[in-house]
Amino acid sequence: MTRNDIRALVYPLGIPLLGLGGMMMLCLIPSLHFYDGTALPMFVCGLFTLAVGLAILGAVGKPKGRVDRRVPFLLVALIWLVLSFFGTLPFLATGSVTKFSDALFESMSGITSTGATIFSDVEHLPPSILLWRSMSQWIGGFGIILMVLAFIPSLGINKYSLYTAEASGADNSGKGTITVSETIRRTLSIYIFLTLVFVLLLRLTGMHIWDAVNLVFTNISSGGFCIYNDSLASITHRQQGILALAMFFSGINFSLLFYVLTFRFGKIRHKLDQFGFYLVVIVVGIAGVMLALHYAMDYSWKDSFRCSAVQTLSVLTTTGSLVEDTSFWWTPILFFYVVLSLCGGMAGSTSGGLKVMRVLILFRNVRNILRNRLHPSAVNPVRLNGKPVSHPIINNVMVIFFVYLFTIILGVLLLMICGINATESFGACIACITGYGPGLGASGGLGCYEAFTVSAKWIASLLMLMGRLECLTVIILLIPRFWKQ
Amino acid sequence: MGVVEKITSYGIRIFDPKMVHIRRFNFKLVARLAGMMLTILACAMVLPIIVSLVYRDGAQFDLFFSAIAILVLGLVLRNIVGKDTDYELHEKESFWITSVIWILVPLAGSLPYLFTGAVSNFTDAAFESFSGFTTTGASVIADLDHTPVGLLIWRSLTQWIGGLGLILFIIAMLKKLNVGSVQLYDAEFSGTIQRKLHPRIASSVKLMWSIYLGLTAILFVLLLLGKNGLVDSFCLATSAVSTGGFMVHGTGLAEMNLWSRASLTFFMFLSGVNIALVYHLLSRKGKDVWKDQEFHVYLGIFLVAVAVSVSAFLAKGCSLGDALGFSLFHVASTVSTCGLSVDCPTQLPMSVAGVTFFLIIIGASAGSTGGGLKIKRLMILWRYVRNYFTRMMHPNVVFSVKVNDMTISDEYINKIFGFVFMYIMFIVCGAFVLTLCDVNIPTAVCVAAANIGNLGPSPLINTLGPTFDYVSLQPVAKWTLMSLMLVGRIEIFAILAVFSPVYWKR
Repeated sequence: MTRNDIRALVYPLGIPLLGLGGMMMLCLIPSLHFYDGTALPMFVCGLFTLAVGLAILGAVGKPKGRVDRRVPFLLVALIWLVLSFFGTLPFLATGSVTKFSDALFESMSGITSTGATIFSDVEHLPPSILLWRSMSQWIGGFGIILMVLAFIPSLGINKYSLYTAEASGADNSGKGTITVSETIRRTLSIYIFLTLVFVLLLRLTGMHIWDAVNLVFTNISSGGFCIYNDSLASITHRQQGILALAMFFSGINFSLLFYVLTFRFGKIRHKLDQFGFYLVVIVVGIAGVMLALHYAMDYSWKDSFRCSAVQTLSVLTTTGSLVEDTSFWWTPILFFYVVLSLCGGMAGSTSGGLKVMRVLILFRNVRNILRNRLHPSAVNPVRLNGKPVSHPIINNVMVIFFVYLFTIILGVLLLMICGINATESFGACIACITGYGPGLGASGGLGCYEAFTVSAKWIASLLMLMGRLECLTVIILLIPRFWKQ
Repeated sequence: MGVVEKITSYGIRIFDPKMVHIRRFNFKLVARLAGMMLTILACAMVLPIIVSLVYRDGAQFDLFFSAIAILVLGLVLRNIVGKDTDYELHEKESFWITSVIWILVPLAGSLPYLFTGAVSNFTDAAFESFSGFTTTGASVIADLDHTPVGLLIWRSLTQWIGGLGLILFIIAMLKKLNVGSVQLYDAEFSGTIQRKLHPRIASSVKLMWSIYLGLTAILFVLLLLGKNGLVDSFCLATSAVSTGGFMVHGTGLAEMNLWSRASLTFFMFLSGVNIALVYHLLSRKGKDVWKDQEFHVYLGIFLVAVAVSVSAFLAKGCSLGDALGFSLFHVASTVSTCGLSVDCPTQLPMSVAGVTFFLIIIGASAGSTGGGLKIKRLMILWRYVRNYFTRMMHPNVVFSVKVNDMTISDEYINKIFGFVFMYIMFIVCGAFVLTLCDVNIPTAVCVAAANIGNLGPSPLINTLGPTFDYVSLQPVAKWTLMSLMLVGRIEIFAILAVFSPVYWKR
């Protein structure tokens, strides 16, 4: 690693840190408004983060020329790690959390917009900390779209990654013809626009601005932290519906949203397959769970539709908001939700999981293999949006699927070794890696991860990070050959 | 060797695509082959009947009547329905034959359980029979010690017949099926690249059967030398060599001496190896075995799993002898997907539980009697993933996946990926049905994996939650598990093809 490489590694941390510091400063508003006594520590944290950010921008010069091929991989992981380490500061400084492992878990859960929490009682937390939790998810949600759009292509894996699988063969896909800064601008504007619209909608139902902002921040980012102990259970049904809609939008590809909102319908053609499948999964999921709730758990039709719609959207987009305490729900529904959270929303959205795109390719591939077995000499490739997808690209989607699965099995095993029981390990591991949040058993439903052992919390934090970075970018750092010159 | 063979084997599938549409589906051939298989099955029942007569267990008439029933059904199918068939076999029929035989034979094989009254209802009888023929070894007979001896022999015999595959039986028997046998061979062997022992498929299948018979005989003698009874030795020998895993006593293997345990362990290990390799080991090409990469990996997995397990037990304070004895037996039984088990010295440590789960998913070598995903497939998958990571760092490097110096094409890799994906989907669906029947989630996943992997019982299943037993499951769960066993035993795509709309489209 040359000096220039290190510069390339450190310099890009500056702006995210400035952003993070700015967000901390914003948390001063509720702190001062509600007099919760956290203004000083919050201010110090913000100042420190801003100072570090400025110092990096000032002291470390811009990298020049070519950098080492490994830098982008390291950078992606580093940004997430550094942000979550700085994100622990408010928790520790205000004394809301005493142990570092807890603070890291909470902060990681925020920055990766997972939504798993260690607080059994959030209503007694200072408002500034509540806003900080919501805010961290909001940044995380934006960060993930940005990473997929801007960073991943520069990793050299774009050829094999999801994004090309999606754009393969589609020349006018919009990707590749616009610059990174343009992408950031578009994404950010859509993100802010959606946030404002949903805050406004919630205000119209008579919700206090404080609650509205917090709820929208955590739901539009498919995060799932909540400022109430009972998640979404005690807000009105109309407000639940609005938030469900916010979750629905959080699972949609943001460039698709951009084109729709700017009335450029010609550009959305190459995303319709994926969007159609997203809708199908939602409809089937809601209908199935609705039937189960009505017949197996004796909910009225109205309640079962409401609960099923909100919860299924929350699971599919890996948000993790709860329409009520789901830990009492019928076990098969919970198992279905675990599988559904693995599916995730559309690529290029804030949601986690495998992404419906990949799942679609996986299923079409199976159909195709079946056809080819019956008609061995027929040529019929897997098609996406009418364009053929080649075997290497399908295989690469499979690679991600298997690496994901392998990580999950390993994660469950590690959590079990740390003394967590089987059901809970299974639920927690998948909830963390997909970014859903609530697991099964004590950590599921309205429960929390407080009772996890320290080592289990560290593993869960790592799983969240891996899930957010789609496993590959973290695993490659663990391969010895990566570090060889 | 394999890929070239694959190409030649595809090469002899010369048929005119137009012809496929003109000729009609050959139902007669399907009926004839199924009938033939049932007739063979009825003949095989002679052994349990004789044993029953000798031991005076009172089940001889029940067994005899079920044999007659199977024989009649078989003869009707063979000589009336399947009269004057031609032996032309194509892709579609080969799937259909594989599926029909694998469903019909276990169903017919359930008659003895019903007639003797060892189980109370048809679901249980079918479960026991499917579990036997697919070499899974999950049992719903609650009281083994009071089961007629003849029936125990029948149970073991079903495992033994199923071990190498029902279709291989037919290929070995039927000389007329020259061209089609390749397709059948493929359909039964899950589309992995197979070593053939002989250029002619019927001859190589016969060789396989003789090796299989030889192995069983050796283990039988070894167990007899270990002072086990005749019946026990026979049942356990078939259980181990076919990787079935049915027990003989309610008490399990608790009273078994070290010699017998050791020989069981060794033969379970051996039955997880590609049977072609066992042949080469016995023949002059002994050196080839040590060059086979799949065998290296199999051995590696075995040793690592044993090492982890032994250290976990030592950490729990077991003696070295106990730890080693249990670990060797447990790992051999799991990796070969046999499913025999001895008592665990302590509660199963979590690390061993995790390793066991991995072993269940991985399964045995391709071309062995064991189930699971098969090591060869996972090797190809693993190498592809490894190349993928290298390519992330060096985007311009061109790689190919090689196993035993054969290059595997992207298209073939794609098929393997598709297979593994479907396998996992089946586990998920199976687990879902089990959760409907009040099984807790991790247990459900493990049970589904153990059944599609044809493992059956495993100490893992009971360590993850409330005690699970097959006996008290609801019928819907039992039927689901049966279909999982079946899917795990024959090629997933063969059975999917039969049930897919594409198959029946003109």
